[in-house]
Amino acid sequence: MKTVAANGKRKAGGKRWHVAVIVVLLIYLFLPIVGTLLFSLAKEWQDEIFPNSYTLEWYAQLLADMRFYEAIGRTVLVSVLTVAITLTIMIPVIFVLHVYFPNGEKLLQISIMLPFAFPPVVSAIGLIKIYSSGPLAITGTVWILIAVYFVLIQPFIYQSVRNSLNTINAIDLVEAAEVLGAGKMTAFRKVVLPNILPGTLVASLLSFSMIFGEFVMSRMLVGGDYETIQMFLYNQMKTSGQSASAVVITYFLLILLLSGLVLKLGSWKPRGYKKAALQEEE
Amino acid sequence: MSFVQVEHVMKSYGEVPVLKDISFSVEEGEFLTLLGPSGCGKSTLLRAIAGLNDIDSGKMFIGGRDITSLSPKDRQVGMVFQSYALFPNMSVFDNIAFGLKMGKMKKAEYTPLVEQMIEIIDLKGKENYYPNQLSGGQQQRVALGRSLVKRPKVLLLDEPLSALDAKIRRSLRNEIRQLQRKLNMTTIFVTHDQEEALTVSDRIIVMNNGEIEQQGTSEEIYTLPGTEFVARFIGSYNVWSRPEMEQAGFADIPSGDLFAIRPEVISIVPQAAVAAHDAGYMYTIGYMKHYAILGNVVRYHVDIGGLDASVDVLNDSGLLHLRENEAVRLAIPMEKCQPLKKLG
Amino acid sequence: MARTSAIQNKMMLLVLIPLVLWIGAFELLPIIRMIFMSFQDDAGQGFTLGQYVESFASPLYRQSIVNSIKISFFSSGVAMLIAIICAYSITRFTTKLRDRMLMISNMITNFVGVPLAFAYMILLGGNGAFMVMARELGWDLLAGFDLYSGSGLLLTYIYYQTPLSILLVYPIYYAIRSEWKEAASLLGASTWNFWRYIGLPVMLPGLLGTFSILMANSLGAYATAYALTGINYNLLTIRIAALVSGDIFPNFQLGSALAVILAVIMLISLFINEQMSRWSRRRGL
Repeated sequence: MKTVAANGKRKAGGKRWHVAVIVVLLIYLFLPIVGTLLFSLAKEWQDEIFPNSYTLEWYAQLLADMRFYEAIGRTVLVSVLTVAITLTIMIPVIFVLHVYFPNGEKLLQISIMLPFAFPPVVSAIGLIKIYSSGPLAITGTVWILIAVYFVLIQPFIYQSVRNSLNTINAIDLVEAAEVLGAGKMTAFRKVVLPNILPGTLVASLLSFSMIFGEFVMSRMLVGGDYETIQMFLYNQMKTSGQSASAVVITYFLLILLLSGLVLKLGSWKPRGYKKAALQEEE
Repeated sequence: MSFVQVEHVMKSYGEVPVLKDISFSVEEGEFLTLLGPSGCGKSTLLRAIAGLNDIDSGKMFIGGRDITSLSPKDRQVGMVFQSYALFPNMSVFDNIAFGLKMGKMKKAEYTPLVEQMIEIIDLKGKENYYPNQLSGGQQQRVALGRSLVKRPKVLLLDEPLSALDAKIRRSLRNEIRQLQRKLNMTTIFVTHDQEEALTVSDRIIVMNNGEIEQQGTSEEIYTLPGTEFVARFIGSYNVWSRPEMEQAGFADIPSGDLFAIRPEVISIVPQAAVAAHDAGYMYTIGYMKHYAILGNVVRYHVDIGGLDASVDVLNDSGLLHLRENEAVRLAIPMEKCQPLKKLG
Repeated sequence: MARTSAIQNKMMLLVLIPLVLWIGAFELLPIIRMIFMSFQDDAGQGFTLGQYVESFASPLYRQSIVNSIKISFFSSGVAMLIAIICAYSITRFTTKLRDRMLMISNMITNFVGVPLAFAYMILLGGNGAFMVMARELGWDLLAGFDLYSGSGLLLTYIYYQTPLSILLVYPIYYAIRSEWKEAASLLGASTWNFWRYIGLPVMLPGLLGTFSILMANSLGAYATAYALTGINYNLLTIRIAALVSGDIFPNFQLGSALAVILAVIMLISLFINEQMSRWSRRRGL
């Protein structure tokens, strides 16, 4: 009995340690965000540990600023277009290679590795050189951003679509549909697409948050010509600190919203899945 | 011409041949089983009949029609997969209706057919359930109903029971067999489980290394294995060569070089009781090693001149008193000594 | 013969064309162009190794390489240590709390670059809350601290590497089965012995792989450093960007050579990661 008691005590001590670790971690992770929040709500914050008085003035100012809306609008536009184009191009490719040409998947592995090996700063050099002049002079426009964001997000789209295909056993489903009289297109549309939708939506949301946070490409390839939210924030930071902090908090709320959606969708299943009272046989 | 005719089918993956000149036929309403170890080519053959795998050469006919170059959807076959392959986004009803919808049938036409099928597979009341709300056995019944509702010319079953646990497997295989008889459905069934094959089939084709080793009724395959491979695969046959048997002390060995002897045809006679030499029997002396109780039979292992003989005896004969290393006499009827073709 | 379906199959490969064109135009071509430029002289002519010679000979660029590797190495190391401790604590809680912690980590990985730099300025900049607090409490520790220097930058790098590192280290703990611990303790091993002889060796490939991903992640980073210090702190990415998009005269050839050097360092990191995951796969993990 003694050992059990001793064990129990040790376990309780261990538990306290783990709780302490998590609490410290959470403080560490949230401190910069809380600091920014306080700053955005402070009337002014100079030479004090905490602000003396609070105000919503900075948010009001921000929400009255057309430039802010434009920046958000541009970023939303570029992310929606990019994600839509990427999905349209990538999903059929991943499907065809996964189901019919499994050997060809190596090709995709290479294309998804490249953005990791060549970060934006590196690939921007060639992009500036090639697309600033000549037949396809698109730097400084939204098109170059869509082009490069496609390259940035395709690894994530690939991973999640492929995982979804694996989870639903897509190869068997397609074969079953074909034997039942469905053509390849019908099998894809009716059987595969509805089942990979949740996973694909999650990947799309993650892609949105990536594009919302992207700074390097938008600074180096378009700069002020097409001011995205990150560029707006950077410019704001140089002029008014407190209104910039309001932008950061808004940005963070957006990330929070997207993460919440991802969490919801991650556990989302097609109709009827929830009340799964499993009926056993006999 | 038979209802299903497969002629000289060859297939290789790169340099590796998986189907070597396979020819066989299935009669209308027959339940044929392709039996063999994993990697023997049986699934590849079944998938080739469904049109899911290409073949390199050969021809295939169903009901006299050449289906060799048709795509799967035009072959009028039904197929049930090991993983069930039910569509997770569709209810039981929609899964079963899928094939009929693909055949351009109207809702009013297919609804009664689907309802009837749901009744046949005994899932009434579960029409609106989704696959993940069903047990494995129920899911496989839906898969079966989904394939049968289109009245395919041939039903193909690719190890449909192997993902289920033993009890459900036994009851479902009987259900499949009954359903098949009722509908007179021509069926090709793939399995690696010899017991399963022996209980359900009209006829069995044993495959090994992309070739047909032997075909015949369950009874023929079980009692008259033609090759060493079949004898070893089908059951716990004692497979002995002539020199081995001579060394074990048998006399009057029938003609042949290699023999398969089922454990249950050998009888154990205690050494003390000096029995007469019956004509038509071979005798030898051995020593009891150990035994295992397999339910209603006891399997004894007897050492006869270095050979291990498996002997099955009903579990009520009182032989359990035999001690280790006790000398026993074994008697084998000569007619039950099945000569085999040499391995090759 | 099954010829028809074979042709149909080949037709399906047409869906690859847009992807191949896109990746070619916006990924491969720029990379090739960059490699090509790195072997040209300042006027964009001829073939020369001069840009590489200058990259290593000039103290400025040599320092930027060293700084980049240093800050990546230390930030990855510290973030790994934090993650090893924190991820283990996370595994000790219920599924719900675990999921929540992972979601928070995932969310914070987005808090990088400009917003992060800005938040750190508020806390640790010249008049940041912590600096004021330290001054009023009379702490000397923070007195000499300058956020806009190497050590300040290191702090921000550690911050954004930490959640990523937790996300990567957490699954590695799951390779350790509780049966192993039980078996080890029945065989007389203490907790320390278990981690020393079984736990750590099992996790090692995964941890080294994580480290190399963190290295690659921080080597290529630009936004945080740029937002915090402009072009004042000498990092490889800052130098490259300044050379190709700075207000002074651009030098694409030299920028390309530096970029190739950076890419090679990153490829080595990723190669190590690949080797490590192969190593764990061979053990069936």
